[in-house]
Amino acid sequence: MTVTATRDPATAVITVPRPPDFDEFWARTLDGLPEPDAALAYLPTLSTDAVAVFDLRYTSYQDVEIAAWYAVPRGDGRAFPGLVTIPGYISEPSVPRYWAELGYATLSVAPRGKLRSNAVFNPGYPGLLTHNIVDHHTYGYRGFYADVIRALDVLAARPEVDAQRIGVQGSSQGGGLGIVSAALRPDLVRCFAAGAPYLCGIWASTRLTHSYPYEEITEYLRVHPEQAEEIQRSLAYYDGMNFAPLVRAPSYVYIGLEDDVCPPETGFAVFGELGGDKVLDTYAGCAHHAGLPWVQPKIEAFLAGHLTPEAVR
Amino acid sequence: MSEFDRYWRAVDEELAAVPAGPVLTQVPARSTVDFTAYDVHLTSIGPYRIFGFLSIPTGDGPFPAVLETPRYGSVNQPPHYRDRLRYLTFTVMHRGQRLADVPFQAGYPGLATLGIEDPLSYVYRGIVADCLRGAEFLRSRQEIDPARTAVTGDDLALLTAARRPGFAAMRSSGPPEVEEEIADRLRAYPEHTDRIQHTRSLFDPDRHAESITAATLRVGRDLELTHRDAEDDAVLDTWLAGQLGVAPMSKFGLVPR
Repeated sequence: MTVTATRDPATAVITVPRPPDFDEFWARTLDGLPEPDAALAYLPTLSTDAVAVFDLRYTSYQDVEIAAWYAVPRGDGRAFPGLVTIPGYISEPSVPRYWAELGYATLSVAPRGKLRSNAVFNPGYPGLLTHNIVDHHTYGYRGFYADVIRALDVLAARPEVDAQRIGVQGSSQGGGLGIVSAALRPDLVRCFAAGAPYLCGIWASTRLTHSYPYEEITEYLRVHPEQAEEIQRSLAYYDGMNFAPLVRAPSYVYIGLEDDVCPPETGFAVFGELGGDKVLDTYAGCAHHAGLPWVQPKIEAFLAGHLTPEAVR
Repeated sequence: MSEFDRYWRAVDEELAAVPAGPVLTQVPARSTVDFTAYDVHLTSIGPYRIFGFLSIPTGDGPFPAVLETPRYGSVNQPPHYRDRLRYLTFTVMHRGQRLADVPFQAGYPGLATLGIEDPLSYVYRGIVADCLRGAEFLRSRQEIDPARTAVTGDDLALLTAARRPGFAAMRSSGPPEVEEEIADRLRAYPEHTDRIQHTRSLFDPDRHAESITAATLRVGRDLELTHRDAEDDAVLDTWLAGQLGVAPMSKFGLVPR
C-alpha cells in the first residue's frame, strides 16, 4: 500500500537510538583488522603518460582479500595528497584516473561483495543490504565498513602519500561511508565530500521510499515481519546518524530535494548531526544525482582547499 | 544482402535454434496485493542461461508491458515499484551480469571491449541476443496487451526495438559511457583501430534506428536532459506512460503507508 505524500524534508525529525556499546563495537571491529598490507600490480593498458594505474590488493576484516584501483600521478618523488573514493551500492569502483590527474594518489576501493572482492563474500544485489541484517555482529556491512577503513590505512601507509593530507569522496553509499570514515579514522581523514548520503536514517527511509536499495528491507520484512525490532536494533550500529557526531573533519554535503533513493529528510538529519565545519548544498528538482554536474566543481574546490594537490594534466 | 544484414540475420537464426526453456520462480518478498514477482531463467545463444525479473500486475489484464534492457554495469535492480503498479515488467540481466554470471563474469571496465576486434567474437553479439530473447519472452506472456508494449534502456533498447518490430514505444537514454574504455583499447592496440571501428559499425544505433517502427524517445536526440534528474525523470516517465495509456507516477511522491 502506498500514499502520495506532501513532504517538508528540511523539518522532518529523524532519530536513531544509539546503542550503548556502539563505540566498543566498532573499536572491537577495527582492533581485529590485520596489519595494513598492499600488493600492487602495474596496469599498463590503464595507465597514461600522466597517471600510473595499479591493481591494489589488501587484507581486511576476517582476512578477506579486498581489491582496489590505485591511480598515482607520475611525479618527481614528492608526496601526493591521498584520496579514497567509495562506490555506490550497485556501482563498481571506477578507475580513478581523473582524480589522479588532479594530483591525488587515489584509491578506488571495491569493498567485499563488489567485483574482484567477491570470491569469499558475495551476497549479491539485491542482497547486501539484508545479509544477516538481524544480527549486528554478522551483518554483511560490518566487513564492508571495515574494508573502507582499511583502505584509508593502506593509503596512509603508502610511501608516495602524505598521510596528513587524505580526503574521502563519494556519493550515495560513498557519501554515507565518507561519514563513517571520518568518524572512525579522525586522525586520518582531513576532509570529505558526501553526496546523497545512504545508510543514514535507514529505518526511517523504509517509510519514505519504495526505491531500491531501501526497498530490499521492505521486501525482507514482507517475509519476516516478526524480525522488525531486531532489524531496527541491528541497523542502529550501522546508521550514519550515530557516526555523524563523532566527525571532526570538515565536510561538504550535497543532496537532491526530490531524491527517491536516499530521502532528503535523512540528508538534512545526518547533516544536522555532523560534527566539524560543514557545508550543505541542496538542489531543487534533483533526485539521487544530487546536483551533478553543477556540484562537481564544488567538490573539487572543497577537496583542493584542504588537500592542496598539484594537477599533472 | 549487406554484411550488416547478414550479421544480424545470423544472430536471429542462431537464437531461433535455441529453445528458451523458461523457468519461473515466484518471489514472495517482491510480491504484493498489487503485483506478483518471479525470477526467470532463460537460455540465449551460446547456449547461455540468462536471468530476468518479471512482475505481473494483479487482475485480469491485458496489461501494458515494459521490457527493461540492462544497464552498463554489474547490477540491474528489480523494476521500480511504480512501474510494477502500472505495467507488466521484465528486466533482463545479460550474460556476465549479476544473476547471470555463471560461467562468465563481466568485468568493469572491460566488458565494452571484450572480443571487439572481431564482430563474431564481440561479447555484445551475445548481449544483444540476450535482450532479443527477453523481448520474445515478454511478448509471449498471455497477460500483456500486444498493442501496448515498450522497451526501455540505453542503446540496447534501441537495438532491441530495431530487431524485434512490434513494440509501440522505445525509450533510450542514449549510449552507455564506454568511450574511455574504447579509447584505452585503441591506445594500447592502435593497430586494431580499423577492426574495432568495423565491429562497432555493426552496433551503430543510428544505423539500427532506421528499422524502428515504434514511437521513439532518444535522450540526446529527441530530448536534452536538464540534469535536474527528478524533473528529467518526470518527463521520461510521462512520455512512456502516455505511449502506453497509463497515468504518470512520481518515484519521490510514492511513499509506503
